[in-house]
Amino acid sequence: MRQSSLRWHSKVTPWVFILPTVIGLFVFKLLPIVSALYLSFTEWSLLGSPHFIKLDNYRELLASDVFLRIVRNTVQFSLVYVIGSMAIGLALAVLINVKIRGIAFFRAAIYLPVVTSAVAVGIVWNWMLGPTYGVINIFIEAIGLTPPYWLADMKLALNTVAVVQVWKMSGYYMIIFLAGLQNINRDVLDSARVDGANAMQSFFRITVPMLKSTIFFILTITIIDSFKNFELIFAMTKGGPQNASNTLVYDVYLNAFVYYRVGYASAIAYVLFVIVGLMTIFNFYIRRHTVESLD
Amino acid sequence: MKKRLAVLAVILLIVGTLFAAGTKDAKADGAPITLEWWTWDPIMMEQNQQIIAAFERDNPGVKINNTIVGTTDYWTKIRIQANQNKLPDVFTMSSGYVEEWAKEGLLYNLDSFVKSDDTFDLFYKSIFDTNKEISNSDSYYAIPFALVTTVLYYNKDAFDAAGLAYPNDSWTWDEFRSAAKKLTIDKNGDGKIDQWGYWFYGRYAHIEPWIFANGGYLIDRSTMRFSPDKNAMAAMKMLTDLVLVDKSAPAPKDMSAFQQQDVFPQGVAAMWVDGSWFVDTFRKNVGDDIRWGITRVPSGPNGSNTLTYGWPDSYALAPNTKHPEMAWKFARYVAGEGIGLDTYMAGKIPSAKKLATDPLFSDPNQQPGKDMDLLIEQAAGPMTTSYSMGWSEWRGYGGSEALGLNGTIDAIVNSLMSFDEAFKKSTDSINAVLKRYYK
Repeated sequence: MRQSSLRWHSKVTPWVFILPTVIGLFVFKLLPIVSALYLSFTEWSLLGSPHFIKLDNYRELLASDVFLRIVRNTVQFSLVYVIGSMAIGLALAVLINVKIRGIAFFRAAIYLPVVTSAVAVGIVWNWMLGPTYGVINIFIEAIGLTPPYWLADMKLALNTVAVVQVWKMSGYYMIIFLAGLQNINRDVLDSARVDGANAMQSFFRITVPMLKSTIFFILTITIIDSFKNFELIFAMTKGGPQNASNTLVYDVYLNAFVYYRVGYASAIAYVLFVIVGLMTIFNFYIRRHTVESLD
Repeated sequence: MKKRLAVLAVILLIVGTLFAAGTKDAKADGAPITLEWWTWDPIMMEQNQQIIAAFERDNPGVKINNTIVGTTDYWTKIRIQANQNKLPDVFTMSSGYVEEWAKEGLLYNLDSFVKSDDTFDLFYKSIFDTNKEISNSDSYYAIPFALVTTVLYYNKDAFDAAGLAYPNDSWTWDEFRSAAKKLTIDKNGDGKIDQWGYWFYGRYAHIEPWIFANGGYLIDRSTMRFSPDKNAMAAMKMLTDLVLVDKSAPAPKDMSAFQQQDVFPQGVAAMWVDGSWFVDTFRKNVGDDIRWGITRVPSGPNGSNTLTYGWPDSYALAPNTKHPEMAWKFARYVAGEGIGLDTYMAGKIPSAKKLATDPLFSDPNQQPGKDMDLLIEQAAGPMTTSYSMGWSEWRGYGGSEALGLNGTIDAIVNSLMSFDEAFKKSTDSINAVLKRYYK
């Protein structure tokens, strides 16, 4: 009798504990995802009711030269961001993975841009990149070169914003790389040194292979983070010049909250969803066939 | 007889009660009237509370709830309110959305009020009429509380240093271009311009005033298609030539480190055209560091600068407000009837005549002094705008400022495209936007 009541208790109790999370997941994640899918087949300005227009939004997207350019921009931004963030994050982690006096200051200083407002970062970089009084261009002129228009040149604007994003976020990945580095047994590196390995050999033959799990984890999150580029684009270029720095996320914002084309914005969001989904699946595939075999 | 009188008295009582109950806004049951009032400017919180206190004191039994949403989220939130049929009784309305909202039936038609009361004795009818024009209808859907216009700002110190007479209302484009060239100066001889004659980019408030002052238009109102006439094209060509030919204005790419509104007050440009509300900004941020004045945008060869590019800031009533009379009374009160000049941002022209004619509006102790009379003249004269449905998208405004027509003009002056190529390309994309709204 007593056992029976306990069995009931043990079945219900876990549900009670996870219920808030489950409700939150449904209300704030799954429901909007499903709603956005429906809205992507509608025309809706938030006023009145959504008007069902079948695949018209997707047809308009695929027929638009601007949209294809925006997709290319998004992929380009991701490439610069993922490669830049991982390379610089790892380099910084290796540099600060030393036990010297005052190293905490450097770790904090490198991490500082991560917690700085993206809008503030954008405004300050706008000043630094300014053609007339910008410190970067003054330096370039001082060494006898002609500086470019970093944010007004159609070939440079997107990469410039991506590099600023790399500068802002590298400190975050540095911390994760640092945790990975500190998990590597020092004895292995010491043994290699005793056996005559130089610093480069130790790094590429021991450190990097032993960091593979961390590297793939960071690859996954940098790919996902690379699509979160709205704030800097808003603060630095507003998608210009001539859509040269417009990305899928910024275009979702424009269509949803400036033009109030909620249906069209939802269709763009779903294209982004598919791209992120494919990249994540690819990432898992790579991980399964490389990292886990090494583990 | 007594019985008949008693029956009559009862009937009269019932009829009287029904009549009273049938009158809108009457407090038959003694219940207080509560009005919801939404605004977007957090700076106005204190003034709004003062306005509410005064209105509630004059109207016992009426309670006003003010919700200040903030400019960033205002339109998204109020659109959702509209969608849920829960619009506040009185709310701030932008000229950019009047047409769309009126067509969707989301604004109370104010014709019955303005045509039967003394509104046009107390407020400038011309500003109401501008709202009517913007709504693209024959009705009044919003009560303007202020008008903003566009003016030519000029730096008196720069003009004095160059030995030039100040601009005036009768200036021609040739005189303007000549002055702009003379005011473009490399002060320290390093080969870089330190003071430009003029500053502009593709922004609506920088371009349209010149188009309208030349008798041009961007949108053909009969077809609602982007079809700039030759006067509009001449105005835009003249402006882009300032950068590309005269070299008397900088390309926007050279000013990218500046907030656009800082170029003129920092002395980097001697002349600038923008909204009249910058009077307030300059008074607060620049003070008397530079001496400056305002005048009309110079007339083009084919037009007159007496036609002003301006637009009202307004209040609207919810179409389903339960208390239309009281909402209208409050809207009039807050639009100027019951408030003081101190609640206005300097440079915004009150639509209430008593405020606009207040001697303090042209306060001689503050810049630009008597030049402020120009704003009153503009308010009383003919006015036009370029608003349409989809305006933010095709014009390039706010988050899309680098795109649309704004981006097109920037591309020309930043030497990314030729004038003809840019307009050929943008005409199709702008009309694709307009076709969605005007099928």
